[in-house]
Order: sequence, then structure tokens, then C-alpha cells
Amino acid sequence: MSYSNARLIPSFSRPPSRVAIRAVSSYQADVEAILWETLQLFELPVRDKTVLIKPNFVEPDIQGMINTHPIVIRAAREAFLRMGARSVTIAEGPGHERDTEGILEVLRLRDYVGPLDQAFVDLNTDEVTEVPTRTQASRLKALFLPKTVVGADFVVSMPKMKTHHWVGVTLSLKNMFGIVPGNCYGWPKNVLHWAGISKSILDINSTVRPDFAIVDGIVGMEGNGPIQGTPKASGVLVAGDDPVAVDATCARIMGLAPERIDYLKRAALMLGHLQEDKIEQLGEAILSARTPFEILPAFRQLRASPPPGAHS
Amino acid sequence: MPTDTQIENPAWKGEDIHASSQDIFGGFLRRAQNPDGGWGYRPGTQSSTEPTAWATLALRGQEAADGQALASAAEWLRRAQSAEGAWPTSSGKDPGCWTTALACLALLKPATPPEDAIARGLQWLCATWPAAGNLLWRLRQRWPGKSEVIVRQDHSLRGWGWTPKTASWVEPTSYALILLRNVPEASRPADAAKRIALGEKMLYDRVCPGGGWNAGNPLVYGVAGVPWISPTVWALLALKNHKGRAANQESLEWLERICQNIQSPGSLALAQLCLKVYGRPAKPTEPRLDDLCQHNRFLQNVPVAAWALMAASGIPGWLKDSVQAKDTR
Repeated sequence: MSYSNARLIPSFSRPPSRVAIRAVSSYQADVEAILWETLQLFELPVRDKTVLIKPNFVEPDIQGMINTHPIVIRAAREAFLRMGARSVTIAEGPGHERDTEGILEVLRLRDYVGPLDQAFVDLNTDEVTEVPTRTQASRLKALFLPKTVVGADFVVSMPKMKTHHWVGVTLSLKNMFGIVPGNCYGWPKNVLHWAGISKSILDINSTVRPDFAIVDGIVGMEGNGPIQGTPKASGVLVAGDDPVAVDATCARIMGLAPERIDYLKRAALMLGHLQEDKIEQLGEAILSARTPFEILPAFRQLRASPPPGAHS
Repeated sequence: MPTDTQIENPAWKGEDIHASSQDIFGGFLRRAQNPDGGWGYRPGTQSSTEPTAWATLALRGQEAADGQALASAAEWLRRAQSAEGAWPTSSGKDPGCWTTALACLALLKPATPPEDAIARGLQWLCATWPAAGNLLWRLRQRWPGKSEVIVRQDHSLRGWGWTPKTASWVEPTSYALILLRNVPEASRPADAAKRIALGEKMLYDRVCPGGGWNAGNPLVYGVAGVPWISPTVWALLALKNHKGRAANQESLEWLERICQNIQSPGSLALAQLCLKVYGRPAKPTEPRLDDLCQHNRFLQNVPVAAWALMAASGIPGWLKDSVQAKDTR
């Protein structure tokens, strides 16, 4: 992963990032084929590697708008195995509900990936190791991280496309909150909230660099996210080799200005690209995928001006 | 071949052999104990406070309790206590309020004055406050730009956080209240009565509209929170001396309604345990613990096995009528 190879490179000296937007009308579409085709656009070094998929599971949700959909998780798992990964582990430490198995069963993940005691690791109860943070944006000088994460060769952040009532949006960078174990930090990872959510997002992502991001925006959440909003059918999967660029692209699809989102602005300094001219866009154009999300009044300032010809 | 620590029920392999739930879960816990006396969250992992406390509490209630296993678990817990009197989270360094409450509860012996380790744990717990809700915090909330109220609750009612100097949450507050209720009044720290009163008020302040509890935010941006099983169970058990109150009754009714749709053994075990304590036995329409465990071998989770063992056994002593039990409806 990511952890042992982590290098912080100022954005101005990084090569352009690549982000693919794919139109996926619903979960009944051939998500597996679409994702496989999308991942072929990137030469991902996963052969013989251990891959860790980090979805976003928060709490049980029968409406299917809070948690990453299991169809997308299965599609990613199958694709990485097909690319020659030695193993693909699904791992998450849910932020709210302590009964992780309860979330997975309501989600019906077992129906898609088989018995979970073999396919899934609960990061909230994993053994931990202390790792110094590579940035000190928050007051946390070190993080206790699950050994499963630290030992993985290739980390994929797989969030849901959602608004967030504390930081505006939750996408692939915010999703990495879930790797921090509840058995050290409590639920809902409250120590990180007190250290500052935006700053903690930066420290986590600078320390555990996700190698790739796949955002489930087929049905996301708008309004009072990340749990009490309303479903938003954006009909997209967004994938890329730079989580900052992936999140910036998602924000633009959501009708928001990424440079106004505090943690994205900070992350753009060291972790990836925010500007459109530094992101090679693959698949659909942002304009055609753009489906502005409702946001809480407190985040009105994040709203981007509609581009010429776009529906606001 | 299963490893010696795997949960294994012959019936799951299609064999016509009956094993009682106590045998399955108790056997799993006994095999999962580490040579150092503690338990990890999963078999074969480093011993940690929370799973050691839960396994101890579950095995202690068994007729065939292994005295030696429990004694070495107690020794592990005593060794794990910090100089300040707290028990660490899995980090091995930082103190946890929930781990301290559970460790004290596991070491507590009925009708016996608390040993020194417990007394120090109680002192630490009663001296440890969440930062949210203190005077400075409340003044800061009135600062211009901080006026946006996201969660509406009475922050002056402080219980316990998962970790010190954060916010009050339902589960760690409930564990602390259950512990304090089990300690004879004469052995409690001086400010225990104040902490109990505040903690109980905090729990009632955080009940979700319609009953039940979530982590501790019943209203976010004016939207009613959805209750979850685990916090609802622990809050109800912490407040069982007030069983006549409307919030308790509503929450119990919610729990009973949801019970038949529970899909995980951890939640089902906790719900059954709580309903049993409140004298409301499980209904035949409920799923069976054994069936749910079969799906994923409950992720080999030691605390879940401990809750399942407790649910399959009689009511544990520490959840029976407390030393100060009275219904203050």
C-alpha cells in the first residue's frame, strides 16, 4: 500500500491525474462489465498483490442510500481478482453502529460475496499498530491503524456519493475515516471529530494513501447527509488513481465547487489534484454527468455557479 | 478443518448432533482465551480489555465455570490497568471510559467490597468528564459563527464518552451506570451519586422520538434519529430501575417489534438479554441465535460470543436487581 510507499508530493510537481466517469443507470445494469472496462483504462499494479477494498458502511439502511452498494463491491472484488490480485479483502470499521455484522446482513453483502468470515474484516476490532502521521494538520501525532490496512499492498477507497452535515461532502477521502478503529477511538470515531474532521481527513489520507478510488454515485444521498438525507440517483460510477481528483470530479458532478470544500482544498496541497486542467477526464464529460445535489443551508457557499448550458 | 478456536456446531455441517448454545458459545470462548489469560477481539489476536471483560462476565455465569481460566483473566485485567486507574483501549496506551467500566464490572464480585483495582477504576471514572458540555465548551458555542445548532440536546447533561475529553455517548454512559449501580453505596466515590443522576438524565435527554436510542444524537437538523439495538439495550439496562417510565416502555416496545427482523447474532443476543431482564421473554417468531451464527460464524467476534452465551443462559447477577434497586417511576 500506500503506507510504506507513502510520499507527499507537492501538487505542482505531480503528473496529471486520471479520472473516469461512467454512466450507470441503475444497479440492475451490468455493473461488473462496466467497472471491469473502466479499470482497464488504468494500468493498476495489483498482480500478486493483496488488495483491500474499503467501502462506506455506516449503519443499517434499508433504503440503500447510506452504504456502498454490494453490487459495486462485488464488481470491484471480481475485477481485482481477474487482474491477478493475490487476495481481495473487504474491510471497514463502521462509524456509528457497533454491530458490524448487523449492517452487513441488512445490506445482504453475504449474498454477493459469500460467507463474511472469509471475505470481510471488521476494522473496528482488528489488531492495531501505531503509525506516526505524515502530516500534522490535526493535533494527532500518530494514529492507531488496523494491521489489515497497514499490511495491504493496494488500498481502494469505495465510498458512496453523499453530502455531509459537518464537512459538506463525504467521498473517497472522508471515507478513510472508517479505517480508524472504534476499539481505540470509540464510536463515531469521536476522537477524530474533536481533533477536527477536515484536519483529521488530511492526516489519515497522508498516512494511509489510498491507491485508487471508486465512488458509488449510482444512487447517492443529498440534503442532510450522510445518514438522514434523501436518495439521489446520479447514475454514475467515478473512478481514478488520485482520490483528491476523484473527489473534486464528484463535487463538480454534485454541482459544488471543490476548491471551497475545506479538506479538499487542504488535500490539494500535498495529496493530489483539484484543478480541472490537471485532471485527464475519461468516459463521460462532467457536464453531461452533472446532477446538482441539494445541500443544507449551512453549506450554501459550496455551491458552484452553473456552467454555461448546464441545468442547475 | 476448523482451527481449534473456530466456532463449530456439528449441526451446521448437517450432522444430526445437538449441541446446546451454552456449549457452542462457551466452548468457543474457552478455546479463544490467550495463554496470557486475556482475550482478543478475535481468537488468536492480542488480548484487549473489552473482549476480556465480556468473556469473563459471560463465563462467570456458567455452572461449569473454569475457576483457573477466570482467575487468569482477572490477573490479566489487573495487569492491564494503568497507574491512573483506567483501562486502555486496544491501543494499549490511551484510556477508555467504556473499557474501564467493563473491566471493573468483570472484576467485581457480588457482596464483596471492591478490590483496590476496582476502587481506583471507580475513582478515575467518576473524575473523568467529557469535554462537550463544560462551561468553556458552552461559551464557545455562543461565539459568532458557532450559532448553527446541528444537534439539539441538553449538553449540560454529561455522562461519559468512549474516551476522555470528548462528548457523552449512550453506550459508555450506560456501562458506567450499570457498574456504579452494582457497587455498594458505601464503596462508591464521593461524587458517584451526582454522576449517576446526571448520567441518567443525559440518557433520557437523548432518547429518540418514539423510543429507543442511537449513539446519542436523537435530533440532527431537526430530523428524528433512528434507534439502534445495541445502544437501546444498554440504555434500557442502565435505566432498569425506572422501568415504569414512558421512555423505557416505548423503547421496550420498539425493541420487541424489531426483534423478529434482527439479522445478526450480536444484536439478537443483546435484545433477548434485555427483554429477559425486563421480564418479556422472546417470542417464537424471533430468529434463532444458532441460525444467525451459522451465516458468518459471527465474524469470530469474542464480545458477540459472550453476549450470545449470556442470552442463552440465566440473567447475569450484575443485571439482576441492583444494590439500590427501586422503581422510581
